[in-house]
Amino acid sequence: MECIDNLPPMDLMRSEKMVLVQLIIPVESAHRAVSYLGELGLLQFRDLNDDKSPFQRTFVNQVKRCAEMARKLRFIKDHIHKAGLIPSPDPASEPDIELEELEIQLAEHEHGLIEMNANSEHLQQAYNELLEFKMVLHKAGDFLSSNGSPVAAQETELDENVHISDDYADTSSLLEQELQPGPSNQSGVRFISGVICKSKILRFERMLFRTTRGNMLFNQASADDQILDPASNEMVEKTVFVVFFSSEQVRIKILKICEAFGANCYPVPEEATKRRQISREVLSHLSELETTLEAGLQHRDKALTSIGLYLAKWMKMVRREKAVYDTLNMLNFDVTKKCLVGEGWCPIFAKTKVQEALQRATTDSNSQVGVIFHVMDSIEPPPTYFQTDDFTNAYQEIVDAYGVAKYQEANPAVYTIVTFPFLFAVMFGDWGHGICLLLGALYLIAHEKKFGSQKLGSFMEMLYGGRYVLLLMSLFSIYCGLIYNEFFSVPFHIFGSSAYQCRDATCSDSRSVGLIKYRDAYPFGVDPSWRGSRSELPFLNSLKMKMSILFGIVQMNLGIILSYLNARYFGNSLDIKYQFVPQIIFLNSLFGYLSLLIITKWCTGSQADLYHVMIYMFLSPFEDLGENQLFWGQGVLQVVLLILAIIAVPWMLFPKPFILKKLHTERFQGRTYGILGTSDSYDDEVPDSVRQPQPDEFNFSEVFVHQMIHAIEFVLGSVSNTASYLRLWALSLAHSELSTVFYEKVLVLAWGYDNLIIRLVGLAVFAFATAFILLMMETLSAFLHALRLHWVEFQNKFYSGDGYKFVPFSFAALNEEED
Amino acid sequence: MGFLITTLIFVVVGIIASLCARICFNRGPSANLLHLTLIITATVCCWMMWAIVYLAQMNPLIVPILNDAE
Repeated sequence: MECIDNLPPMDLMRSEKMVLVQLIIPVESAHRAVSYLGELGLLQFRDLNDDKSPFQRTFVNQVKRCAEMARKLRFIKDHIHKAGLIPSPDPASEPDIELEELEIQLAEHEHGLIEMNANSEHLQQAYNELLEFKMVLHKAGDFLSSNGSPVAAQETELDENVHISDDYADTSSLLEQELQPGPSNQSGVRFISGVICKSKILRFERMLFRTTRGNMLFNQASADDQILDPASNEMVEKTVFVVFFSSEQVRIKILKICEAFGANCYPVPEEATKRRQISREVLSHLSELETTLEAGLQHRDKALTSIGLYLAKWMKMVRREKAVYDTLNMLNFDVTKKCLVGEGWCPIFAKTKVQEALQRATTDSNSQVGVIFHVMDSIEPPPTYFQTDDFTNAYQEIVDAYGVAKYQEANPAVYTIVTFPFLFAVMFGDWGHGICLLLGALYLIAHEKKFGSQKLGSFMEMLYGGRYVLLLMSLFSIYCGLIYNEFFSVPFHIFGSSAYQCRDATCSDSRSVGLIKYRDAYPFGVDPSWRGSRSELPFLNSLKMKMSILFGIVQMNLGIILSYLNARYFGNSLDIKYQFVPQIIFLNSLFGYLSLLIITKWCTGSQADLYHVMIYMFLSPFEDLGENQLFWGQGVLQVVLLILAIIAVPWMLFPKPFILKKLHTERFQGRTYGILGTSDSYDDEVPDSVRQPQPDEFNFSEVFVHQMIHAIEFVLGSVSNTASYLRLWALSLAHSELSTVFYEKVLVLAWGYDNLIIRLVGLAVFAFATAFILLMMETLSAFLHALRLHWVEFQNKFYSGDGYKFVPFSFAALNEEED
Repeated sequence: MGFLITTLIFVVVGIIASLCARICFNRGPSANLLHLTLIITATVCCWMMWAIVYLAQMNPLIVPILNDAE
């Protein structure tokens, strides 16, 4: 065991050693110090002002200012997007500007932008109105001119209850017929002309009819152009209408109804010449407004583009400053109010770098006093920090998804890097499919830089993040495919000819009794003669089930050994003696023995029934084995193993709680008084520091129940977990069968026909089925099951996973988060 | 016999892979130990897979019985 201690610590095995540090920073260098620490990104600040609300903190004003600036930047960004411009970043050409200056500039820009928008809105509204007026002039002119002679408009009298709502051509002719020879004017005919949305015209008309009791004439014609509705920012169809009525009281009512329906009324002069004159004026006005609007838009676009150059840089700066002030809010002022006190976690290897950064901050801010940096003890467990690179990061995330490792416990990711793709491959084994996966993985890795810089959708991001996992998965799949001898379910004779041949030259009984093994076993993998035979499934099922059990036992033993390494590292000899040893004995005396039986049966070719052996080992252990005997002394061995297993259960259940109780009473004997706090000056200022130890109450029943649950979980779990590994068999069978079906029933069937079209269709269906069902669905399925095997069956032997992740204050992480 | 020879081949391949890793990716003792662990794990996994399939076919209890089709 000493040789293990002499080895250097393995890279990813245990989390980095952390240390709690206290920083005392003079106020003038505080901002700079926190900025430099943010650039370094290796210190996680503890929030010392947890109990204060955000408004009670020291730097709340600065945070508010930053938030306000961020809002202004977002506002400008929105407008840039709405205007359809693309902000092109122009980095590093301008010198950095100060935050206060940026604030002033932003306020100016925002103000200008709001003004420009308001102006263009006004202009647009005026433009719309003029456009509508033009339409009204044009269409109403048609109504009015068709009513009477080309001379001045006649005053006509309307009959009661005449209400015409049809096409105006009929109307005008009817009017002419009826009213032409009529008497000259008694009362004047008045009219109101205007524009209304096409969708509201029917209701408008009905309302007018009801209000005027039919004493009105309603003409409408739809406008030729569409109008831009400023509220909804889309084009709407409008209709021009003219309402003829007789009395003034009705006019007020009609005006009110127009207002209610949102119709705009425009006065149209009755004389044609006047109308023409006004039309000309309106047209010239319109063209003026158009040019003005154009100019306004151009001006705005220019302003937005010029801002857009710096937008990204400014946003980054504002985000950084806000983060710095948020962090400064976590620090406390000390008694003299001249220094800020902060606490944080920092990896031991980064201590010098942090001290260096603080030193730089002191010199850069021309402060007289340096920053004090010293290490403290802590009761609270430190955060977990694993230094990962591109390759190991994906696996660490897979493990962290289940639970972040406790501080310094063994990291399952070390073995997961190999066993996870390997178990995936056991369930996916087909070297044709493996090559497809390999091509995909290589494509992702080759375009690493391109994918890394652009923003990807969530699915592509997952694929890109897991490209190295995919690579290993594909390599192991190719290996397992060669072993299972499946290339899109077709076997090959890569490693020599088959070990089986016909019994005689005629091969007459190859379909009844079968072939015969005349040579040594096929040197690598499954013999190609098995594929397509009638006894393929019994053979392969037996092989794969036993293989799954063997892999399961090995992985679970690895898990228990890792728990031993953990106990050894933390100096927990209690766990070694009363947990590791009985667990190993129990698992191996039952299921390790089963593995031994499997291997012995394979080596000797015996016909013993292993189910029978295992079950009767429990039911009647002293009975003679008879034809199920695999080796000499098996009966005695079985009895011994059974006794060992039965002893192991109380061994892992009872001793530990009692010994823990004894240890606790020994340690805290005589400690009936509480511990007084020490009288350091900083303790008063830092009430929630982690340095005060508390004597725990030892609740014996709780500990005993916990141990009982743990023991029962292990005992029952050893059966269920072993059986759970049979999913390796199940999924590999499913994959192989699906593959066979697609090959035989789609491709071979289609290829049997002479027709080219049928062959192409068959090929296409085969390709789609392979790509979507086998490559995508089966990959996900095998991925999920391999993951479950790791998270549950492997990790519940040793992993506690109740730590918390190390999240340092870092500007780099901030940028990633925002994007 | 064939079993032992192929097992030896696996061992040799494992050793060669470790040496290659040590030459190409030499990054300090702790990282080297990690690489060694990974290679040993991969070699053991691959060897186990091959050995299980080989042992299962050494003394088979059933033989391939061809299908009636074709």
